[in-house]
Amino acid sequence: MAGTASAGAICVAGCSCRSSSRWEFLSDAQAETLAALADQIIPEDDFPSASQAGVIVYIDRQLMGPYRRHRDAYQAGFESADRISREFCGVALAQAPPPIRQEVTSALAEQRSDFFELAREHIMEGYYGSPRHGGNRDAVSWRMLGLEEPPLRGRAKYDLSKGAGS
Amino acid sequence: MEGRKVSIMKRVLLLVALVAGISLICAAGAIGGATYYYTSQRGAGCAGCHEMADTVCTVHVSSHRTVGCFDCHSTGLATKLRHVAVHLSGRLPEVIRLRDVNVVEMTAKCQSCHQREYATWSAGPHSATYAQIFTNAQQNAARRLMDDCFRCHGMHFSGPIGEMVQPLSLEGPWRIVRAGFAAEPTMPCQACHWIHREGLPATKPTAHFSVAGARVGESLAFFDRREQMHFAIAELPLPQIFDGPRPVGISPDQRQALCYACHAPRPPEAGSAAARRNWGVQAGSGDDRTPLGVHEGISCFACHSGHGEDTRASCATCHPAMSDCGQAVEKMDTTYANPASKHNIHWVKCEDCHTRGVPKPLHRRSGL
Repeated sequence: MAGTASAGAICVAGCSCRSSSRWEFLSDAQAETLAALADQIIPEDDFPSASQAGVIVYIDRQLMGPYRRHRDAYQAGFESADRISREFCGVALAQAPPPIRQEVTSALAEQRSDFFELAREHIMEGYYGSPRHGGNRDAVSWRMLGLEEPPLRGRAKYDLSKGAGS
Repeated sequence: MEGRKVSIMKRVLLLVALVAGISLICAAGAIGGATYYYTSQRGAGCAGCHEMADTVCTVHVSSHRTVGCFDCHSTGLATKLRHVAVHLSGRLPEVIRLRDVNVVEMTAKCQSCHQREYATWSAGPHSATYAQIFTNAQQNAARRLMDDCFRCHGMHFSGPIGEMVQPLSLEGPWRIVRAGFAAEPTMPCQACHWIHREGLPATKPTAHFSVAGARVGESLAFFDRREQMHFAIAELPLPQIFDGPRPVGISPDQRQALCYACHAPRPPEAGSAAARRNWGVQAGSGDDRTPLGVHEGISCFACHSGHGEDTRASCATCHPAMSDCGQAVEKMDTTYANPASKHNIHWVKCEDCHTRGVPKPLHRRSGL
C-alpha cells in the first residue's frame, strides 16, 4: 500500500509536465489528421478502417520507439496535409468532408510523396502487422484475409532426438 | 566555552529532529492521500498514466468491471516503482501485459472469487505444474524439450526452454531451474480466459440455463504465446479433419475451438498413405482427440466438464435415452472403464468388438 502511494505521488508529479493528449507522441489534432489520412488509404467496408483497427495507436507507439527518426517527417507531413486541406475547403483534413479528404490525399501524394509513401507504409504495417505492436486490433486484417491465427498445429513433429545435425 | 558548544549541538539536534518530524508528517500525508486516490476510484487514478488509460477503459466494459484494479494486481513497492521508472523514462512497452511471475500470482486472485471453478480445475489435468510437465521422464526421454512446448504448457513464460528446465537432452534427471515455478501451473486461468475481455458481469442463472444452445463464456479465449495476446473463442478456427479420405463430422460447438488450439492434429507424416494421397490432417494425429466411430460428431463438452475435464457420469448424458444398444456402456472394454484398454473411448467403433458384424440393437429388434 505504501509502495502504491509513494509511486503514485511520484507518478502524479511526473505526469504534470506531460501533455494532456491521450496519445503518447501525437497531439489530439495530429491523431485526427492521421486518422483521416489512414482511413482514405484503408477505408471501412465489411471490415474496420485503418483507424478503427488501431493503426493510429501503432504509429503513435512506434514514434515513441523505433520510429523516433520519423518524427520530423510526420510533423511536417501533418502541416502539409492540413495546409492542402485548407486550400481546398478552408478547414483541416480531419474536419473536411469525405470527398475533399480524397482529393487532399491525392494532392498530398503528389506534393509530399516522401511523407505520403512513409505514412502509407506505416499504415499498412499497422493494419496487417502483428497486433502485439498496437495495430491490427483483434487480428481483424488476418481474419479479413482468411488467415488461420493462431495456426492449428499439433505438437511439433521435429525430431531433435538425434541432435541438431541429424 | 564548553557549555556554548553543547548549546549549539542541542540546537542542531533539535533542528534535525524538527525537519525529520515535518518530513515524516508530510510523507504520511502524501502516502495516505495517494493511497486513497488510487484505491478509491476503481482505476481512474491508474488511468491517470496515459499508457494505462486504454487498459483501464477496457476493464470498465469487461465482465470484471465491478472488480477494482488492486483486487487483482500487485501493489508492491517494487512493482510500482518499476511502473514509475518506465513511465518517466518514456520507454513504454508496445502492449501492456502481465509478466510471467504476475500471471502466476494471479491464479490465487482468481481463486478468491471463483472457488468452485478453481477447485475443479485444481483436481483436473489442466492444473499440471511445470515440474509435472517438464520433468516427465517418459516424455523427455523420447523427445527433446523445445520452445514449442510453451505454446500449450507455460505460454506466459517469456524465456527460452533452457531457462525453465535443464538438461535439454534425452538423458535426465531433469530439473526446473527457474526459481519459484516448479509447483506453479503451466495452464493458469489466463491460458483460456481473457480477464479484460468485453462482456457483462456473469450472473448465476445465465451461467446455468440457456435456451439458445451451449453458452459460450465471454471470457473464453486462447492466449497465443507468439503474439502475446488472447484470441477470442469466436475467432478461433474449428478444423476440418479426415479419417483417411473421409471428412469427419465435427460438432459445431464453438467452445471446442479452445480445445483444438492445443489438442490439434498435425500434417500427415512424410511418406504416409495420407501424405501420399493428400488426404489432409488425420483424426487422432498429434494430440487430436476428435471423436470417431460411435461418438463422431459430439462436442468435447458433451463428456468433459469445463474446468476439471472430468468425465464421470458423462455417459448418462446420452445413454440410454438418446443412444441405447442394450449394453452397459460404462462397463464396455474401452478406456473409459479401463485406461489400459486398446479401445480408446474417443475412437471406439462397434466393429472394434463385433468383428463378425454388428448385431441389431435390442430396441430395434423388438420393434420399439
